[in-house]
Amino acid sequence: MTKRGICKGTNSKISWTQVETGSSITWKYPSVILKGDNSTGEFYSVAVTNNRQQADTGTKMLHVGRNTKSRIVSKGISAGFSNNSYRGLVQVGKNASNARNFSQCDSLLLGDKCGAHTFPYIEVKNSTSIVEHEATTSKIGEDQIFYCNQRGIDNETAVALIINGFAKEVMNQLPMEFAVEAQKLLAISLEGSVG
Amino acid sequence: MLKIQNLHAGIEGKKILNGINLEIRPGEVHAIMGPNGSGKSTLASVLAGRKEFEVSNGTVEFLGKDLLDLSPEARAGEGLFLAFQYPIEIPGLSTTNFIKTAVNEVRKYRGQDTLDAVGFLKLMKEKMALMNMDQSLLSRPLNEGFSGGEKKRNEIFQMAMLQPKLAILDETDSGLDIDAIRIVANGVNKLATQDTAVLVVTHYQRLLDYIVPDFVHVLYKGRIVKSGPKELALELEERGYDFIKNETNVTEEV
Repeated sequence: MTKRGICKGTNSKISWTQVETGSSITWKYPSVILKGDNSTGEFYSVAVTNNRQQADTGTKMLHVGRNTKSRIVSKGISAGFSNNSYRGLVQVGKNASNARNFSQCDSLLLGDKCGAHTFPYIEVKNSTSIVEHEATTSKIGEDQIFYCNQRGIDNETAVALIINGFAKEVMNQLPMEFAVEAQKLLAISLEGSVG
Repeated sequence: MLKIQNLHAGIEGKKILNGINLEIRPGEVHAIMGPNGSGKSTLASVLAGRKEFEVSNGTVEFLGKDLLDLSPEARAGEGLFLAFQYPIEIPGLSTTNFIKTAVNEVRKYRGQDTLDAVGFLKLMKEKMALMNMDQSLLSRPLNEGFSGGEKKRNEIFQMAMLQPKLAILDETDSGLDIDAIRIVANGVNKLATQDTAVLVVTHYQRLLDYIVPDFVHVLYKGRIVKSGPKELALELEERGYDFIKNETNVTEEV
């Protein structure tokens, strides 16, 4: 499944926000073509995989116009035997002077049978542009769970709290009502994944 | 309130506690002191229910229940609170949200109604005033980027919010300067009542200048080898732990 948007006019903006929990296999790369000068593209994503799910998602930010900006924040959570990949392309064309991109990909692992992968593709043809990529991978610690337990919080609630903290930057992009639903959805998707 | 009998415990096959006996009654403050590696923190962890530690023998009774039979969250619900030596960070999770969840989970366990946002804020404001707690700390992610003093204050603030029956302070003074120790100790003292008890685990006597214990116990090689009134702490400070080592002939157990 792929959605594409084009920022045609000057100063235009497209922002994608996705919360991905669903299919067995997901390939999804909502993209933005930054054609208009000074246009902005954003991509915020939370992808959760559990059991044997495979998710391979990300975005394409195609910088065509001048002074175009893009920002990518991707949070992947893997549990069970699943694999969760971020795959994204940031392309800066030769006329895209002063293009700016910042990408951040964080992965969180639950258990030791799941995988998290990051495949950033960067193609730059203009020397005045700045492209940045940051990535982290972490694991929910026994310590974090025990700390919650000691405050009276059971394992499942503890995992939900930790996950929602992890995904907060993206959740904050969602409208209030939807964010509440999304938080519950994350908790349900991960039910039973921590013993 | 708490009755520990002949408690043996260890981790990964290594024995650390070799028969602890201790009884704590409501209203009492007990201090456990001892050199590094004597088992102080292990005792705190075992009481809180950390599952890496295996109990091989002995019983622990807490308010009439078999403590060792309860899950860590049930122990918290029953009113046992552990102030961590190294409070854990949870990135992105606001401290307020964490405390609200904890308070409501504990209330559920105790069969009380959960608090809504308004009720919770009211309780929080009240405790913040009591503990001189700063609002800004509570809106930050849990313990993330907190200084040592802020982390410990946050522990004591959570204690105020959860209103435990027995609070165990695991080396709460470690890494704190004198002013921070005073603030934390004042907090603990304000929370003490006739029905609650405190178990202070510490390395140094200085915390006990502020949280004055009724009893001091010296832990050495997994056993309480000496108990006495608060003056014992002063004696230890003066003479070091060596005199205890010489005085007691605890044989190494394999």
